[in-house]
Amino acid sequence: MAEIRIDKVSKSYGKEKALMQGIDLTIMDGEFVVILGPSGCGKSTLLRMIAGLEAVTGGTISIAGQVVNDLEPRERGCAMVFQNYALYPHMTVAENIGYALRVARVAKAERMARVAMVAGSVGLTEFLDRKPGQLSGGQRQRVAMARAIVREPKVFLFDEPLSNLDATLRVQMRHEIRKIHNRIGATSVFVTHDQQEGMTLADRLVVMNKGTIEQVGSPEEIYERPASTYVAGFIGSPAMNFLPGEIQGGAVILENGIRLPVPGLSGLDGTMVQVGLRPERLSLTGPGRGQISARVDFVEELGSARLAHVLVEDIAISVLTGDKLAIAPGDEVGIAIAPCVVQLFDGTTGKRIETAAHAAQQVETVS
Amino acid sequence: MTSDANPAGRSGAVRTMHLKENLAGLALVAAPLGLLLVLILLPTVSMVWNTFQVPVEGGTVTGIARYQAFFADSYSVANLRYTLIWTLISCVTALAISLGISLYLRFSEGRIATMIHALSLFPLFVPAIIISYALVRFLGPNGLLQLLLEQVGITGYRTPYLTPIGPFIGFVWENIPLPVLVITAGLSQVSDHAIEAARDLGAGAWRILFEILLPQVHRSLLIAFALIFLGVIGAYTVPYLLGPPAPEMMGVFMQRTLGNLQRPDEAQVQAVILMVLSSIVGGFYIATMLRGEVGRK
Repeated sequence: MAEIRIDKVSKSYGKEKALMQGIDLTIMDGEFVVILGPSGCGKSTLLRMIAGLEAVTGGTISIAGQVVNDLEPRERGCAMVFQNYALYPHMTVAENIGYALRVARVAKAERMARVAMVAGSVGLTEFLDRKPGQLSGGQRQRVAMARAIVREPKVFLFDEPLSNLDATLRVQMRHEIRKIHNRIGATSVFVTHDQQEGMTLADRLVVMNKGTIEQVGSPEEIYERPASTYVAGFIGSPAMNFLPGEIQGGAVILENGIRLPVPGLSGLDGTMVQVGLRPERLSLTGPGRGQISARVDFVEELGSARLAHVLVEDIAISVLTGDKLAIAPGDEVGIAIAPCVVQLFDGTTGKRIETAAHAAQQVETVS
Repeated sequence: MTSDANPAGRSGAVRTMHLKENLAGLALVAAPLGLLLVLILLPTVSMVWNTFQVPVEGGTVTGIARYQAFFADSYSVANLRYTLIWTLISCVTALAISLGISLYLRFSEGRIATMIHALSLFPLFVPAIIISYALVRFLGPNGLLQLLLEQVGITGYRTPYLTPIGPFIGFVWENIPLPVLVITAGLSQVSDHAIEAARDLGAGAWRILFEILLPQVHRSLLIAFALIFLGVIGAYTVPYLLGPPAPEMMGVFMQRTLGNLQRPDEAQVQAVILMVLSSIVGGFYIATMLRGEVGRK
C-alpha cells in the first residue's frame, strides 16, 4: 500500500508569510492524482515536500502509513521525474537509468538486466550507449522516466515533466506516462499548470491556488461542478464567461438589466452572484432569438470550431460554436442558454451556489 | 536579367562578399596579431634557436650542449625539481581550497556567502609584492602571528619565512580568486534539479560531489589547475621575497643567472625549459577549452 496522506501541511520560508497552510489531501494507493495550478501556487513545493526535497514546516506527510517528515528522499520510496529531466550529461543513458541501482549497490549483472528491461519498455534499447546530449527532448524524457521506473518505487512524482516538450511530443508522452502508470500501478502524483494535461491524465485533480487547495475531484466533476470562480475560470478552454448579477424573483438580473431565467433559485433573492457560462455550452441563434441578444465583436477561426466574441451591451462573452454560421463583426445575434448550463457563484466569496436545478441534474446523472 | 537566372554570377558575388568579410575580420586582428608576432613569437623563436647554438672555435654549431650542461648541474636540477614540486603542491592546495569555497558559494545564499565571495576575490586586487610583505610581517620572525601565539603562551614558533612553506603560502593566497571564479562558474552550470535528482536517487553528499558535481565541472577544474600552474611556475616576486636562498624557484634562478651572474645564455636555457613545462600545461589548457567549444557546438 502506498497511500499518501497529507495532514495539515504548511510551508513557510524564514519569517515570510506562509506559502501554504493547512493542506489536507489523501492520495489512494495506485491512484493517479494531478495537482493543477498556476505558477507560484505551491504545487511544486507540495510535491517536493512529498519527495523530501523540501522540509515540511508544519503538519505531517505519510507514505504507506509511515510519517516521512524526517526521512531522507531516498528513504521514502518515491521516484521523481523533473521538469528539465535532470539527467547527468557525463553518464550514458544506461548509466543514468542504472544510477539509483548503483547507489543502492545492486550487483552489476542484475543492474544491467534491469536497465535493459526498463529501457526496452520505454523504447530506449538502441540508445543505451549514448549520452543525454545526443538525444532528443522526448528521448531524454523517456530516460528520466526509465530512471524512475527502474527503482520500482512505491510512488511516482512528476514535476511538470512535459513542459519542455513541443505540443505533439507532449501529447505522445502524456499517453506513455498514463500507459506506464496503468501497467505499473504505482501511486502517481503529477504536477502541472496545463489543464489539458491534468484533465487527460488524472484519476483525480487537485486544483491549487495561492498555497491552498481549491477543489479535489474527478476531472469531470471539476469541469462540471467547479467549486469556485477560480476553479471554473482555470478549468476549461476557452475560459468560462462570468457575468455579474443579482438573483431576483427566480432569475438572475445581470448588471446591464438583462433577465436570465434560472430554475431553482427560490430563497436566494437579493444574492449577488457571478453567472458562469461555458463558451462551448452556449449556442448562437438568429437575432431576437435565444435568452440574450448580443452583437458580434470578432470571430476566431479554430478549424474544427469558431470562437465568437460577442458583446452583451458592454459585457464580453465568448461562444464556441461548431456551426459554420455566416457571422461577421457587427452582426446582431441571439445567445441560447439552456438553464442547466448556468453555473452560479457567490458574488462576494466566489464559492459555488448549488441550485435545485443542479441538484436535480446531478441526481439524473447518477441514476 | 535577375541573379536567379545567372547562378555563376551569384556565386561569384557571394564569394566576393565572403572575401570582404574575411578581410575585414583579418584587419581587425591584424594589429594584435602583428604585435604578438613581433614582440613575442619572434623573440621566443630567436631565443630558442640561440639555446641550440653552441660556441666553438671560429663560430657556432647547432647542438644540445647547453641543455646537457643544465641537466649535468645538480644545483640547476635541484632548482627545477624544487620548482616543479612546490608548484604542484601549491596547485593542488589552491585548487582544493578554491573548490571548497566554490562549493560553499554554489549552495549558500545570503550576506555571509556574499562576504566570503568578496573575500575570496580580494587577493586578485592586491599586487604580489604587497602580499609578500604582508606575509613577512605576519608570518615572519617577530611577526604578528608569533606575537599572538606568545600572548596565549605558545612559544617556539618557527617561521615559514625563507623556507619553502613561505612562498607556498603566498602562492596559495595569490591563486585563489581566479580558480574560485572559474569553478563557481562551472558549478553554476550544474542545475539544482540534477543535485536533487541525485538525492532522490539515493546519493549522499560525497557521492553527489564525486559522481555528479566533479565530473560535470572537471573542465573548470582543469582550467583552474592550468591557470594556477602557469602563474606559479614562473613566479618571481613571491619566491624571491618569501622563499629560501637555495634551492630557488626557476623564476628567481633565471633572474639571478641573468642579472647577478650575467650569463644570458644559461638564463635562456632555463627559460626554454620553463617554457616547455608551461607549454605542456598551456597546451592542455587550450585543448580543454577547445573541447568545451566543440562540445557546445
